[in-house]
Amino acid sequence: MEIIETAAGSAAMGAATEAVDVLSPLRRQDRPARLGASAARRRYADVRELIASPANPTPLVRLNRVVPPGAEAFLKLEWMNPFGSIKDRTARYLLEGMRERGELDGRELVEATSGNTGIALAALAALEGIPLTVTIPSGVPEEKLVLLRMLGATVMPTPDDLCPVDNPRDGAIALARAVAESPAHGGRYAMPNQYANPDNVRAHYETTGPEIWEQTEGRVRTFVAGYGTCGTITGVGKFLKERDPSIRVVAVEPQRNHRLPGLKNLQEAKAPAILDRTVIDDVVRVDDGPAYAMAKRLFREEGLIVGPSTGAIAHAIASLGAAGGLAVGVSPDGGHKYASFYADYLGEEGQPR
Amino acid sequence: MTDHVAQLNITEDAPPAADLELDCKGLLCPLPVYRTSQALNRLGAGQVLRVECTDPGSLADFPALARQRGLTLLSATERNGVQVFHLRKETD
Repeated sequence: MEIIETAAGSAAMGAATEAVDVLSPLRRQDRPARLGASAARRRYADVRELIASPANPTPLVRLNRVVPPGAEAFLKLEWMNPFGSIKDRTARYLLEGMRERGELDGRELVEATSGNTGIALAALAALEGIPLTVTIPSGVPEEKLVLLRMLGATVMPTPDDLCPVDNPRDGAIALARAVAESPAHGGRYAMPNQYANPDNVRAHYETTGPEIWEQTEGRVRTFVAGYGTCGTITGVGKFLKERDPSIRVVAVEPQRNHRLPGLKNLQEAKAPAILDRTVIDDVVRVDDGPAYAMAKRLFREEGLIVGPSTGAIAHAIASLGAAGGLAVGVSPDGGHKYASFYADYLGEEGQPR
Repeated sequence: MTDHVAQLNITEDAPPAADLELDCKGLLCPLPVYRTSQALNRLGAGQVLRVECTDPGSLADFPALARQRGLTLLSATERNGVQVFHLRKETD
């Protein structure tokens, strides 16, 4: 409760109780200082301090029921990041790099994203007063578009068949580049370009990779992540291979025309420029069916409210069995943003008859 | 460039009146197609959109867009590096 001392009140009180100053313990100068940040109390001065780093890693949680008996497998819960996904790390590194190179001065941002990078960029950009435009490929749930708009971003949904001539699957990337480079915009837009920006890889080489190494006390034998922008698989893969070249790095690739936002089938989409295939030992194909089935099992058997791409990654981990030693998979984001996708998947299940 | 127009078998005279005009000069592909698609959503059946572009890719994009979206490309001309297209929306 705020005690406001008025001149009249103080005078009246002084007159009534001259000997004892009853208000003295509550006088402004005696009150404790305003609450500052305290890591021990998990109290932060700014939400950005919550973005994961080796000093504040995202949790590793063991899978106990969806993997074969004897398997030692963990998911790294990237949705514990403040803006809800692994892309918080990427967005922070992308913006810091651009700021250091002087690319942000007085400019707006434009980026192609399936949503999570956009959400993290939108939150960070909003805190700094930088306008953001995002181009979004088809197949991204409505929930993400609404979150982006809540954060103040301008959203450009990009149909797959936008380019009527060559019809590439990467229309959103082409559109973002056109926004950034069109002469009519006079260089007003800066594009982080997570698909080609080495800062995306560096985010995972400097944070996600070291965290996994520390959290497993150097015992990790297998690392599993999806093909997406390929920042995670390249950055973590590179870090772990430098620690121990015998660590197996497994990439998960979805089917063509999949429903797993954030993942990319590299036959239908261009391989991102930052992908370094030399750090990848195996590629596991996971179709939508098994990915969604595993997501449902993670909800029900592990209590993990994950997005569909985590289903694909956990399915790959389970298929590796127990022989490969300690396995760590990335859980890129949580399940809340995919309510509409899961509703389609469930159909009538769970509805009263 | 005029070869393109000839291939399309479109006359260059008497440009039709437009219900909506869109300036896509200085915009790179695929922005003109994107903005045209957005603008078409604001038009009704029978209405005409006039688009000005400067990206050379537009000469291939707009005939393809017309086929894809069931539009009639009434005219396609180029003068001084500016392409002008008239598109009629046939159905809502």
